[in-house]
Amino acid sequence: MKVLIAEDETLIRLDLRGMLESAGLEVCAEARDGVEAVELAETAEPDIAVLDVKMPRLDGIEAARRILDERPMPIVIVSAFTEQSLVRRAAEAGVYGYLAKPFREEDLLPAIATARARFDQLAAVREQVDSLAEALAARKAIERAKGLLMDAQGLSEQDAFARLRRASQSSGRPMRVIAEAIIETLSQ
Amino acid sequence: MKILIAEDETLIRLDLRGILERNGFSVCAEAKDGLEAVELARSTEPDAALLDVRMPQLDGIEAARRIYAERPIPIVMLTAFRDRATVEKAVAAGVFGYLLKPFREGDVAPALYAAAARHRELLAARRRLGADPPRRIEVTLGRKWPVQIERGEDGSLDVRVTP
Repeated sequence: MKVLIAEDETLIRLDLRGMLESAGLEVCAEARDGVEAVELAETAEPDIAVLDVKMPRLDGIEAARRILDERPMPIVIVSAFTEQSLVRRAAEAGVYGYLAKPFREEDLLPAIATARARFDQLAAVREQVDSLAEALAARKAIERAKGLLMDAQGLSEQDAFARLRRASQSSGRPMRVIAEAIIETLSQ
Repeated sequence: MKILIAEDETLIRLDLRGILERNGFSVCAEAKDGLEAVELARSTEPDAALLDVRMPQLDGIEAARRIYAERPIPIVMLTAFRDRATVEKAVAAGVFGYLLKPFREGDVAPALYAAAARHRELLAARRRLGADPPRRIEVTLGRKWPVQIERGEDGSLDVRVTP
C-alpha cells in the first residue's frame, strides 16, 4: 500500500515515514504543505493519505477536500489540534480518521486499516449504484428503440428485440449503444 | 449524538462517559459486557457505539458484528489489543474506528465524528441501491426455481439458485 504523507515539520515527517515503513507500508510521496499534497496525490498515485492540518499555503483539511474531489482515497488527519470545529470540518470534508498528535505507531496502523477497509466498502457500493444506473439507462434505451422499430417497420415486439440483439452481436457493440443509435436515427 | 459505551472496567467506563459528555455527546447506555451491549443497542437505539474488545460473555468484536447486523450504526473499538490479527478481525466486523488504550480525551470525539460522517455516506449509497431484497423469491425460467438473495455487508448481492 502506497502512502502520501503531508507534514510541514521535517522531524515529524521523518518519524511518520519511519512508522509507516516499519509497518511494511511504502511512503510514495512527502509533501511539506497542502498545495504540494494535492499535487502529489495526483502524480504519485498513493492508495491512502496521511495529512497534518496546520500547514503553509493550504491546510490539511482543505487539501483533503481537494484530493477527494480529484482522486478519491482514504484520508487520515493527524493534528495537535482537536477542537470540535476543526474535527467537524474534517469529517465533513470526507476524512476517515483523525488522530491527535503526538500519536504512537500503534495508533496509526489501526486508523489506516479501518480507513482503507471502509473506503473500499463505500467504493464497492458506489460502483454498484453506478452499474445499476447504467443498467436502468440501458433498459430504457432498449425499450425506446424497440418501440421505434416496431412503429417504423411494423415489427412485433419480439422481432424488434431480436433485431436489436442481432445488430449488437454482429457489431460487437453493447445493446445500449445500438439502441441509442436507432433512437438517434428514427426519432428525428 | 447518542452513544452506547461497552466497557467492563468501571473506572474506564466512568472516564469515557465524562469525556463524551464534556465533548457534547450524550451517553444513552453503558454496557458491562458484550451481550449487554447488543441488548442495549437494541433497546436504546444509539447513534454510535464505543466498544471495548475484551469483555465477559461476548467480546466486543462479536458484539459489534451483531449490533451492526441488527441496526447499522458507526462503531469504534477501544482496546489495549494492538496486534494485527485483532485489528483485522475488527475491520472485518465493519468497525469505523479503532482506538488504543491508554487513550487521551482528544482521541475520542474526532474518531466518533469521522466514523459517523463516513457511515452516513455508506448508508446513503446503500439506500440508492434500494432496500434490502426479499430473501427468497421464485423465478420462472421454463420451470420454477427458488432463488435465495442476500445483501452482503458491502451492499453487494449474493444470489443463489437452489434447484
